[in-house]
Formats: sequence, structure tokens, C-alpha cells
Amino acid sequence: MASPFLTPGSHSQLNQLALLHLRRDQAIPTVLQLHDEDNAGYKEGKVTTTRFGSFPHTTLTGQPWGSQIIASKVDTGSRRGRGPQKKNRQLKRKADELTTNDSAEGANDSPSGSPQAAVAAASGFLHLVYPTPELWTMSLPHRTQVVYTPDYSYILHRLRARPGSSIIEAGAGSGSFTHAAVRAVFNGYPTTTTTDDTTPPPSSCSSTSSPPNKKRLGQVSSFEFHEQRVGKVRQELKEHGLDGLVHVTHRDVYQDGFLVGDAETGTSPKANAVFLDLPAPWLALKHLVRHPASGAESPLDPTSPVYLCTFSPCLEQVQRTVSVLRQLSWLDISMVEVNNHRIDVKREKVGLEYEKVRGAVVFPKSVDEAVAKMRHVEEHSRKYRELQQQQDEEEEDLLNSTTAANTPLPASSGPAVPAKEEQAAPPSSSSSSSSSSNIPLYKQGRLVHRTEDNLKTHTSYLVFAVLPREWTEEDEQKCRDKWPPHRVDQPMQTDKPKGRKQLKREQLQREEAEEQQQQQQKQQQQEVVAGGEKPADASEEA
Amino acid sequence: MHSYVRPNQFVAFKLPSDQTRIQKIVPNTQVFLGKYGTFPANQIIGRPFYLTFDIHETPGEPDSTHLRIVSAAELHAEHLIAEGEGDGDDQEPSDEASTMRTNRDTIDDRSTQKLTIEEIEALKKESTGAGKEIIAKLLESHSAIDQKTAFSLAKYKLRKERKYMKRFTIIPLDVSYLTNYMLQDKEAARTLEMRDEALGLLGCWGNVHHGGSTSFDMETVLSKPNGRYLVVDDTGGLVVAAMAERMGILYPHDGDFDDEQQDAHQKVPATAGAQAEHEEEAQPTEGGAPSRRNRRPQMSAQGNTITLLHANKQPNISLLKYFGYEADDPSDSHPLYTNFKTVSFMQLLDPNADSIYAQEPTEIPAEELSTFKSSKRSAYHRKRGRWMRVRRTVDEARAGGFDGLVIATLMDPSSVLKYTIPLLAGSAPVAIYSPNIEPLTEVMDLYSTARKTAFINRRRELVEQKATSDDSVDVKSELEEEFPLDPTLLLAPTLETSRVRVWQVLPGRSHPLMSSRGGADGFVFHGIKVVPTQEHIEAAGNPSRKKRKVARSDETPADSGEGVDVEMTV
Repeated sequence: MASPFLTPGSHSQLNQLALLHLRRDQAIPTVLQLHDEDNAGYKEGKVTTTRFGSFPHTTLTGQPWGSQIIASKVDTGSRRGRGPQKKNRQLKRKADELTTNDSAEGANDSPSGSPQAAVAAASGFLHLVYPTPELWTMSLPHRTQVVYTPDYSYILHRLRARPGSSIIEAGAGSGSFTHAAVRAVFNGYPTTTTTDDTTPPPSSCSSTSSPPNKKRLGQVSSFEFHEQRVGKVRQELKEHGLDGLVHVTHRDVYQDGFLVGDAETGTSPKANAVFLDLPAPWLALKHLVRHPASGAESPLDPTSPVYLCTFSPCLEQVQRTVSVLRQLSWLDISMVEVNNHRIDVKREKVGLEYEKVRGAVVFPKSVDEAVAKMRHVEEHSRKYRELQQQQDEEEEDLLNSTTAANTPLPASSGPAVPAKEEQAAPPSSSSSSSSSSNIPLYKQGRLVHRTEDNLKTHTSYLVFAVLPREWTEEDEQKCRDKWPPHRVDQPMQTDKPKGRKQLKREQLQREEAEEQQQQQQKQQQQEVVAGGEKPADASEEA
Repeated sequence: MHSYVRPNQFVAFKLPSDQTRIQKIVPNTQVFLGKYGTFPANQIIGRPFYLTFDIHETPGEPDSTHLRIVSAAELHAEHLIAEGEGDGDDQEPSDEASTMRTNRDTIDDRSTQKLTIEEIEALKKESTGAGKEIIAKLLESHSAIDQKTAFSLAKYKLRKERKYMKRFTIIPLDVSYLTNYMLQDKEAARTLEMRDEALGLLGCWGNVHHGGSTSFDMETVLSKPNGRYLVVDDTGGLVVAAMAERMGILYPHDGDFDDEQQDAHQKVPATAGAQAEHEEEAQPTEGGAPSRRNRRPQMSAQGNTITLLHANKQPNISLLKYFGYEADDPSDSHPLYTNFKTVSFMQLLDPNADSIYAQEPTEIPAEELSTFKSSKRSAYHRKRGRWMRVRRTVDEARAGGFDGLVIATLMDPSSVLKYTIPLLAGSAPVAIYSPNIEPLTEVMDLYSTARKTAFINRRRELVEQKATSDDSVDVKSELEEEFPLDPTLLLAPTLETSRVRVWQVLPGRSHPLMSSRGGADGFVFHGIKVVPTQEHIEAAGNPSRKKRKVARSDETPADSGEGVDVEMTV
């Protein structure tokens, strides 16, 4: 079976994993099926319910990947009554649906005929996307600490995990690294996917038995000592169509090493790369040598350098690992940590004109605006004072003239006048708000960026190392026979593949150079009397 | 797999000074490593990678140069000894403290070294032990060596080793190594200061991987070829190389079983060039590899391909030469020959403006052709082939349906996205690298939630307007005027950056390196191409509740008209 991770095709298919993308960090993985194993009793067959509505799988199957899918009206309330006794009828109906679905592929939004077909809901939708290791890492069920994309992307790059490589992973855990590793080494599905043991490359392939053009197929050998997790990972890989490419072994690798199948007589995965996500990687290293002390076959590829990465959160672990790596002749040992952060981009709106805009800060955006605003306030209060003064005077006049107690009336109407004025004509703010309202809201404010709120400051330390292939005196002798060690033909041999034009050009250049040389030689012969000394190499002093 | 040094391959030499030198290993020539020495190339051909060699020679004797493999134990000797000592020290910490040497009494000038420059030079000339003798002499004649602490002694020795050791390590030249080489030893600007971590992110978020072998799964082939990637690369071919590496089409020997070293040796004549060797051995990794006689034409592969869009008439892919692919004259045995396609932006947008595409060379009937001189005939075939190739690749690119888009460009990314996003299949990922953040924050802004909402509302308005009014409203062009990019075509736009920090791990002396290269941090934008439905979309959920949530969780001020759930109007 083709895996939707590797070869998704153009449309979603039944019995394949699809991701229902709700929002940026939330996607629901689901295997598309018309039948519901749990028999939840929906009329529409299997239904995935999300916070954005219900989605019968009939509306999700056979759709182009990336489609926006509209939620359906699903009767979630009355299904409780429908029990297993109606199962047969349902199955029949589902079978009907299956056929109609196949005949009218891609036109599921308005399904024809069947009364049980999904009816589009008034609101709610999601996007149907094919799974990738990144999206899977985001949505997988956590069993252990997960190796996230920033780490595994760097690790696989440094491990030189490429199509056709064989990679050992110890500590399968939640399977996020497993998925990324499969994608990295994938270069075709094995022709026979019967059992785990048939797929590894021939264990003792003499150069004559393997046809030279035969490609080596990439594979992942995954080890996990937690039995329940092993079962879960196997189940997942099968659902994802990756079971032919990954061999999950239930094993304590500290004790029993890395052979696939039986711990002592199993086949070697012939690994080119090793990733150890273990609490004590140094205990597993003794098995990752060219000639294990136990006399068992080496799990490493004898014909290539082996790249190793260990993933440990603590510095003490790193120190022990590095120390053992040195003792076991690993080279190019380096340790790094990956600092990754995501960046929020938004429009920061600061200004007095954003009075009723959500998320904006109503604050002067510049000194000029602040001064203008203050001027306005000042002006306003001056007017107010004047008015008050006026009123007081009037009042005094009034008091003087009449002794009646109707003061509250002018006092209340007095300040109301400037209040109205203010709403009508604050000169600076009204003009600026009218100018900014021409700009659509999404373009207002200043574009700013910053690190996202939740920041991972430390995941783990990554130790990298390389183990070169073994090189014996015999190999060296063979090479010497093939390549005479002191044979040097022409000191300046031109590079091989060259265009015809370039060859011609070079021919000309050579001729010119020869002429020049001849001239120079003549000159030198004339100058030879002077006895030019070669300048001493003064740059290389202590 | 890089199992041994192949003739005519580019390899990297790591020198004691931590510098890297890249050279093509041509049989029967000399390899020059500057002051670190010279040796015949034949002495490393066929040898495995990651070995460290000392260059030994007897002065004055020709052909005396020979290489000695430095064992891992020797390379790690000091650390191993230090670790052994460290174990002892742990038991008696108080004792150690009392005898601990400090730098209190050291003299900070050059007078402590008693060897003169002339003496050192003389030593260098007659020295045979790959520089070791010089270092031993230097240590011997250092008057204050016993005053040095263990750490400063180690440092002193290391410094001298870097200067005088005639030693090198052969490293396979792969994308990761080339990236670091360009960053540190060459002009980093040529590769947009690309780092390993950014390349890793680009590859993963771009979902770049091998498209599967066609011979294995016929069903997927019938529906649609897998693994077609679109790339815009202004890093001189580094991004193309990284993608090709992930897709298994970068190395001529990729994916072969490597047990055939001895065969290879028998086949390759002593002076043969790359061509001959490729002819014998290599097979393009793409599925259904063509047989030797029946080679497929250039840029003809269906699946597992890279299509490069370039801004100039010719693409700049000069770095691919390190992987055996010469842009001017590609060898037809290289996997990239069939699986790497180049299309200029002009060919993509206005193919008829391109003279090669537009002008079909007149077809000449076979009888007439047979009367031609052979040179003229081959010229005709070449022209005709080129026209067909351009026609095919351009049409193919214009038809779209790509499985991923990777961009590392000097141009404005939004202008690239405008023309490339529509060429993607649904659910295809988009990944953009930029050394600086500003071009990418602009892209993020073009896909902001507020803009999406405004776009959807505006489109609805226009559609309604079109339905009611008689005069024809061109919805598309009206929208394009206001929104250069359709913000609904990309899901989950995200911007991130990675940076590795390198540590020194030594017993009792572990800490991050004191300094490293500054410059561009490198940022990666990614998202997923989606196919919005043409129907009227109303988001679900209780708007008032959501609004609160949205405002709190990511503080996106958004114009949520008509109770539309802001978060959902993607």
C-alpha cells in the first residue's frame, strides 16, 4: 500500500490517513473510512466531530488534497438509540454509499440520491490535507517526549539520511522522528511486503550476487523497549502505509544490540546513520562498532562511514557519551544545541485615531500628535474656563439682579455645550481618523515581529560523530596496486569534461601562453646575470 | 553513500588550521595543500572518507612522499589521557587544589621561546615526521613550559600543531559540508548566508523527499507523477543541491550498493575521465532508469524532479559543479540530467516572448536530412532537441500541479508567490528562506487573518454586485487590484528561525564556544497551499466566545464582520 506520507496522490482515498486541519497547530489525524468500527451510530457512517462541526467521511473521501470541506448537518443527538441491532442495515446502507461514492467521485458536496447522504451545514469548515511528518509531529498522540521539527530537521540533515540510507533509531517513543526518518530515506516501496524479515538488504551480499544496478532501498530500523509503545507504533505505521519501510523491534538495546530479528543471529540493518534517543546512549554504543565483542554481526554498513547522533537533555549525559565515543574511535565529535523560535508578525496600532479598534493602543503615536492633543485639551479647557467665567459673571449678574435659586439650570446646560463641541470638532484627531479610515484595517499600523509567547529554550543536546569505514592493510595494498602511489603524469592536467568551445579557447590560450613563455625565457636569459634570488618565506615564522 | 574517494570527484580537505580546501581528485596528479604539503592524488583514491593522514617525505628524495593514516586513538590521545587523569583527580579534590597551577607567574611575551625563526625554518626543511618534530622541539625549547597550566599547555600545543602539522582529513563534499564551506571560507553572500539549520528546515517544511520509484507502484504513476518540486534559488544552486540530495538525485552513485569498489577499479582505466566511469557504472536514480543505450533526453523525467525558476536568461547553478553537474555541459549520466529542469520566469509568464520556445525549427524530412553533412545534421538535431526540451519543460511548468515550492531568492518573495502559488497542487507545502526577516514579515502580513477576512468579504461583495448589477464586474481583476496575493490560498503561514550553538565538550571544560559567526540568522516561512471552496463559507462556533479567545491567544486584531469566526476564515 502506498503511504499518504510519501506518495499521497492527488485525492484522498479510503483507508488512508488524512489530516483535518483546524488551525495552525491543530489538526486531527483520521483514517478515512465509510464504516465506523466503533459504530457510533451516525446515519452518515463514520463521522469526525470537531469544534467546527461534524464531518462525515463520505464528504472527505475522494476529495482533492487541500480542499476546504464544509461541515455537514449530522444528527448527533438521537443516535444513542441506534444500537448494534441495526448494524446490518447500516452496513448495507454504507455499502450502497460506497458504490455511489465511487461513481460520483469528487462531487460529494451535493451527493445525489441517497437520503442518508451528508447535508451541508450552515456553518463550519476545515481543510483536508495529506499528512507530512511535520503535521504528524504536531498532532500525534504523545506517549513520550517528542522530537520536534527544528531538531529532527537538523539531525537528519547532519546524519546524511538520504534516499537509500539505512537508519537505526533507538527509542521509537511517539514516532515523530520515525516518520521524518522514513521520509528522508525513502526511495521506493519494497516489492514484497510480506514480513519484516524479507525486506532488509541481503545480509551477506557479495558483490557478485547483487546486480550492480540494483538500488538499495531506504529503511528505518526502530527499537523500543516499552512493549506497549512498540505495539502502538507498529499499529500506526501500518495505518500509515509505512510498515514495509520501518522495522520496529521490541528490544532493550543496551543489552541486546541492534540486529533486526533475533538479537544474536538476526540480520544486520547495515546502518549508515544512527539516532539514539536514550537515557544512557553510552551503554548502547558498544554494539555500534565494526566488530562487536560478542562476535555478532555488526549492525553498521561495512562499506560506508556511519553517522551518529545522540539526543540527551543533560550535559552529564553528553559528557559520558562523548567520552565513550572517543574510546570507541568515533571521529569528528561535536555537540550542539538547536535554538529555534517561531515569530509572531502583527500590526501594532498605536495612535489616537484607533479609538474603537480592537487590539489597538490609544496613545499618541508621536510627539507631534501628543502636543497637538495637549494643545487641543488646553484650548478646550481654556474655552471651558472662559465659559465658566462667563457663566459665573452671568450668575453674579443674575444673583445681583434676582435672588431666585434657579442656578442649577444654567450650570448644567453650561458644560454641555463644550462637550458637544468636543465631539464635533477635535481638529487634529478627526482629520487623522478620516485619513486613516481610507486605509483598510489590515494595512493600518506598523508591521512588527517578535518571538512567540511560548518559547522552547532547551530541548536536548545533540552529539554528532562519524565512524569511518574500516581500512585494513590488505585494502590499502589493493588500492596501491590499482593506483600506483607515485604516478604523476602531467603536473597540470586540465579538468575533464569541457565544452568544445572551451577546449578551443584553451588551445588558443595555451598557444599564447607558450609564446609568452618563450619571450620570458629570452628575457630571463638576459637577466640571468643578475642572479635573482627567491624571496624567503617570511610569513611562516614562529 | 560516500564510501570511498572516487576518481574525478570533488572532495574536501580539512586542514590543521580548521580551514577547508576543496579539490577535484584527478588520478595521476598532485594534490597541493599549500604549506601543509603536496602528495600524489593516487594515494587517496579508493581510500575511505573521514580518515586523517600525515604527509611524510624525505627531503631531497623524489617519490618519497607517502601518507600515514592517523588512528582515531592518536587523534583523541590527549583527551583520553586527560580523561584518565581526571578520574584520578576526582578522588582527591583537595590535593589537586593545593598543587593546581595558575597563570599567576607566566610571562606574557615571546622571549620564552628560545628557538629563533631561522632555526625553525631549518627544522621545517629537514623535518620528516609530518611536523611533529618541530612541535616537539618547540615545546622542548620553551623556557616556561613547566609554568603553564595543563589547559594553557594544551592550547599552546594545539596552536603549534595548527601551524606545523602536515596533516589533513578527507571529507566527502556533500551539501552540509559545502554549506559550511561557503559560509566560512568563501563569500557567504553568494549563498545568501545559508546555514545547515535553515536548509534542514527548508527541506522538512517543503516536504522535499524522493517521489518513489515508478517501477514499484504503478497506481500512483497513473494518477499523477510524484515528487515534482518547484524552486526559486538565488544561492548559486545550493538549495537545488540540498533538494536533490534529499530526493536522491544529487550524487551520480547515490543509492547504489557500494560493495563494488573492486569492480569499479577494474573498469576504470588509469587515466579515464569522469565520463568513462559514469558510463560504466552510474545509473540515474529515478525509477525505471534508462538503459545505457537508450538514454532519455535532458529534463525528461516525469516524477522526482526539480523545476528551477530563474530570473535571468541562464540560471546560476554554479555550485552544482561540485557534485559532478556542469551547467554548461551536463553529463548525461548524472541523475540531474533528466530530473532537473530549468524555466525562466519569462518563459513561465509569457512563453512566446522567448525565442527558443516560440520559434520551432522547421522540420526537415528524413530523406533530405540524410543528404546533409554530419555536422549540419547534428546541428539540426541539437536545435530541434533544444526546442522540444524547452517546449516540454515550459508547458509542463505552466500546467502546474507541483508537490512543493521552495524559495530562496533575492527578489521580493510576494512577487514570486503571486505566480508560483497557483502552480501548486492542493496541500503542497511552501517554504521560503530569507537571510533577513523583513521580506518574510511582509509575506506574513499578506496572509494575515485580518487581510483574509477582508479579502473574503470583498469577494463576496463583488460577487453579489456582479449578480445584481447588469454591468459586468470582473471579480478577479478587482480583487487583484486590492490584494496582490490571494490570502485564502495559504494555510497556517508560520515564520521561524533556528540557530545552533556549538559546545566544547572536554572533561571538566564543557562550555559553549566563545565566539561564532554572526551575520544573517536566516528565517524560514512556511505554509500549505489549499483549495478554498467556491461556496459561501460561514465559520462555526460562538463568535463572541471565540473573539475573546482569539484576542487573548494571539492578539490578532481583526475585522470580524458579521459574526464570522475570525480564526476560521482562513
